[in-house]
Amino acid sequence: MKRLFTIFLNGLIVENPLFIIMIGLCSALAVTTTVANGIGMGVALTFVLVMSEVIIALFRKLIPNSIRMPIFLVVIASFTTIMDLEMKAYFPALSKSMGVFIPLVVVNCIVMGRVEAYASKQPVLNALFDGLGMGIGYTWVLIALSVVRELLGNGTLLGIQVMPSSFSPMIFFILPPGGFLVFSFWMALSNQLRKKILAGRKPEPTEDSCCTLPDIGSAEKA
Amino acid sequence: MKTWQMIKLGLILAIYTTVGCVGLAFVYNSTSKTIAARQAADLQSALRDVFPSATRFTPTDKVVSSSSAVVFQSAYMAEGSSGPLGIAVQVQGSSYGGATVLLVGVSTDGTITGVKVIENKDTPGLGANAANPSYYVDRATKTTFPGQFTGKKVTDPFIVKEDVIPITSATITSRAITNLVRIVGKAASDALGIGTTAQGPKAVLPEADAVRASAKAVSSSAPGVTILETSIGTKAGAIIGAAATAKAKGYDGEITVLVGVSTDGTITGVQVLECTDSLGGSILAPTFAQQFTGKKAGMSLEVGTNVDAVSGATFSSKGATALVKATADALFKALSGGGL
Repeated sequence: MKRLFTIFLNGLIVENPLFIIMIGLCSALAVTTTVANGIGMGVALTFVLVMSEVIIALFRKLIPNSIRMPIFLVVIASFTTIMDLEMKAYFPALSKSMGVFIPLVVVNCIVMGRVEAYASKQPVLNALFDGLGMGIGYTWVLIALSVVRELLGNGTLLGIQVMPSSFSPMIFFILPPGGFLVFSFWMALSNQLRKKILAGRKPEPTEDSCCTLPDIGSAEKA
Repeated sequence: MKTWQMIKLGLILAIYTTVGCVGLAFVYNSTSKTIAARQAADLQSALRDVFPSATRFTPTDKVVSSSSAVVFQSAYMAEGSSGPLGIAVQVQGSSYGGATVLLVGVSTDGTITGVKVIENKDTPGLGANAANPSYYVDRATKTTFPGQFTGKKVTDPFIVKEDVIPITSATITSRAITNLVRIVGKAASDALGIGTTAQGPKAVLPEADAVRASAKAVSSSAPGVTILETSIGTKAGAIIGAAATAKAKGYDGEITVLVGVSTDGTITGVQVLECTDSLGGSILAPTFAQQFTGKKAGMSLEVGTNVDAVSGATFSSKGATALVKATADALFKALSGGGL
């Protein structure tokens, strides 16, 4: 149980998909202009990630190595379409504001990366917790980014005006350069936190060597 | 052995895709009715928003799009208790991030009753603010971007940054939506039988006290320019000028202008009657056409030197300028040669 919990926690900071593995950045920067979009995208990606990881971990012994990529894609695309349809039917407003980014979850590198590097080699329970950890790790970063960007760039939070009316919105934060800037500040904070966590932890060999990075320095290479 | 291996892999992949497809088919079946019902309800509520007092909406095919880039997906005749109220058109055109769908209502007196953004795929936080109900182009009066069209006349110029307030950092979205509203406004008012350009050649021949159609046709030597109708302006029985409507290709559509020339070759007035270029609608503004008044036929007219282009519509401005020049030259030649 403790082992599963560690797998889950790993995704939040120590192996955060955005800050440490640094994949899936494009959609993360693109959608985080409003908090509602950030939450929507985070939940959508978590759903697809968990379902795909569980299914692929379950069938990992029945997937021939040479055609594993197309099979992963079929599984991921199926779950993305299912989620897209369900959202259109039951959360039309959210589906409308997310637009093209939902179908693009299919090609999100986080899903493909975790499925290939983790779920295809691990038992179902591990994959489930990895998916949850990575998904929530992705979601919190999106929310953190979008809170700053929506607040400074538009003066609102979740569409509600919070800044005084004398505040003139800095459109810079909504635009891509502002996204990169906010992203880098959050990344610096998160890496500081990660250093502290790693310092308090005994060095232990983990099962998946591919995605555990020994220190911050190697993040640049990823 | 290798062939067998390949067939085996293909079959395995086929099994996975089949299972995936069957799963999707089930989800699609269970959600498609809800999605269709929701879209229909969205359209109904949007229709009710543009025509609150209408009791009935009947589909109509009377409205026709003047541009191939703009698709009228559906049109409805709004009827109230005392007869027809106007036409609502669901229109699709391209914007920054792909297709944009609007619902535009035009009343029988030529007023825009409302614009609703049904679908918009532009950048979240920028162009997508077109559909944001809490994004105000005018904070004081709480007017949203599509909200500002309500109450405008279809004969208004519809120029972004002049009579239309754009969305900050989303000029392309603002222009695309404004252009769609203008095209629907014109098409709907034509369908309703309230012409928007009914002034005729008299408007460009202010000195004349009578205008009659010319017996002879005038043709232009410039390539691609077609002169449609020629009329002669007279004052106390003497010919003082002539006017003609002419048509030529613009950027990706067609431009139609009305040009008036006096006997001494001075351009007495110009009207841009129609421009179906996808982004060229802004040259319909009177300020663009007024620049030509007082210029001489025969002199060179060039965008950038003695004619100012409308920003965002340089190609259409150039096209219209060349057309005005060709028409004025042809008219002056006909006038001085006594060919009218």
